[in-house]
Amino acid sequence: MEPIIEIQKLSKTFGSGDSRVEALQDVTLAVQPGEIFGIIGLSGAGKSTLVRCINLLERPDVGKVLFHGKDLTELKPKELRMQRRKISMIFQSFNLLDQRTSLDNICFPLELAGVSKKDARKRAMELLETVGLPDKAGAYPVQLSGGQKQRIAIARALASDPEVLLCDEATSALDPQTTDSILKLLQQINRERGITVIIITHQMSVIEQICHRVAILDAGVVAEIGQVEKVFSNPQSKAGRRLVTPDTALPLSAWEGPVARIAFNGNMSEEPIIATVAVELGIKLSILGADTRNVDGKAFGTMLVSLPEEQQDRKKVLDYLNNHDGVTAEVIQ
Amino acid sequence: MFDLFSDPVKVAQQWEIICSEYGFAVWETLYALALEVIFAYVIGLPAGVLLVTGEKEGIHPLPGWLMKLVNVVINLLRSVPFLILMIIVLPLSKILVGTKVGTIATIPVIEAAQSMGASTWQIVTKVLLPEATPSLISGATITIGTILGYGAMSAALGGGGLGKMAINYGYYNFKFIVMWAAVIGLIVLVQIFQSAGTKIAASCDKRLKNRS
Repeated sequence: MEPIIEIQKLSKTFGSGDSRVEALQDVTLAVQPGEIFGIIGLSGAGKSTLVRCINLLERPDVGKVLFHGKDLTELKPKELRMQRRKISMIFQSFNLLDQRTSLDNICFPLELAGVSKKDARKRAMELLETVGLPDKAGAYPVQLSGGQKQRIAIARALASDPEVLLCDEATSALDPQTTDSILKLLQQINRERGITVIIITHQMSVIEQICHRVAILDAGVVAEIGQVEKVFSNPQSKAGRRLVTPDTALPLSAWEGPVARIAFNGNMSEEPIIATVAVELGIKLSILGADTRNVDGKAFGTMLVSLPEEQQDRKKVLDYLNNHDGVTAEVIQ
Repeated sequence: MFDLFSDPVKVAQQWEIICSEYGFAVWETLYALALEVIFAYVIGLPAGVLLVTGEKEGIHPLPGWLMKLVNVVINLLRSVPFLILMIIVLPLSKILVGTKVGTIATIPVIEAAQSMGASTWQIVTKVLLPEATPSLISGATITIGTILGYGAMSAALGGGGLGKMAINYGYYNFKFIVMWAAVIGLIVLVQIFQSAGTKIAASCDKRLKNRS
């Protein structure tokens, strides 16, 4: 399938001289139509710059941004404006117009496109329904909660009937429960309307909950790209490993011996795997940290365990674990 | 200057002046005020919009030489009645970001409008000005107060209105009742405009609506 969005060898630098920051370096990635694509990284990794390069709110210094195979960076301002209507965006701080009601906010992109007031209002009412706030048509942004504001922003983003929805830290300002409901709404929009969703976040939980594929951005460079499940159970990069490692009560560096991360999917979690290691190999592992996560509807668990100092024993444990279906174990320290 | 009512003849004389001249002086003051405020906004508002949208990092960068020219012209205009521009340009950017530092391209709502494919003209007319309306109104209120003050001072150079009454009839001719009446009139006018302006600005600012 032809990718809907393709970023090719994109670089962006801010400032000059000593204050020069290379926000993005040679970033290449492709997003398929209909998928929910996550871009994750710590703050300062360049992910916001990257998403803003997709609709050219930020102009890349080098590189191409293809939408349906057409390079957006080469378009004239007017053509770019037309294409932008097909690539909507929602923001961390919602960015609603404070002096307009919810309904008029949703009408705004339609107004820009020259849709008649009557038709715009009709469509806006339908969208209010879609986002579950039909009774808030006359409310001003100041009268809405954060979650409600983001729902209005989503409705506004859908008004121009876009093919792509960019979400720039769209849930970062919301509490966990509201985050959850907004993510479900995005998922529903993706499924029902086939809109491609690109999500920028620093929260692994957001990626796990709704993304199909993920790109990990580390210091302006794509560290790895892949299926969320695969990246989660078997990360290939240092940045990836850091993102999926469960928290431990004490910092890992406080632990002197070798440590392994074990990831296992829900299919086999019935088996008491740590216990069988002890029984069958006679090696006792202590658990340093563990949690379970829901990756795209499937249960995943991760565990940090101490490994034996002895090289041979260590290998035995790792081989034993990796021979189990749905289990991956790797030394991380 | 403060011995006002000891001579009944003078009081009667001055009362007569007030009765015959006061109404016209107030009218003259308001008339000049209206012209000045209209002038200030007709020149100041487009100039303000031009300055914020046309700068290098703005949403519609204009050639550097043009911006320099605009800047020189504005500075020339501004150095005479400096209040005209200062008061109008600041609120535009201030309302939207809460500070006047930085360029407007990075103002969140403007960025949102850009992401929806809005043109520069649409951004100015549908985002920038509507969102800044409350602060433009409170800016106008301050402008009116200041212009009233300047107008009164202009009486010293031949201007009309309440200022002329206070200076020419009152101060120079030792008719202090007339002077005080004119001064009080000015104070009352400023008060009226100030409270009306503040009220209107608050009532049209949808960000101040209480949660219902």
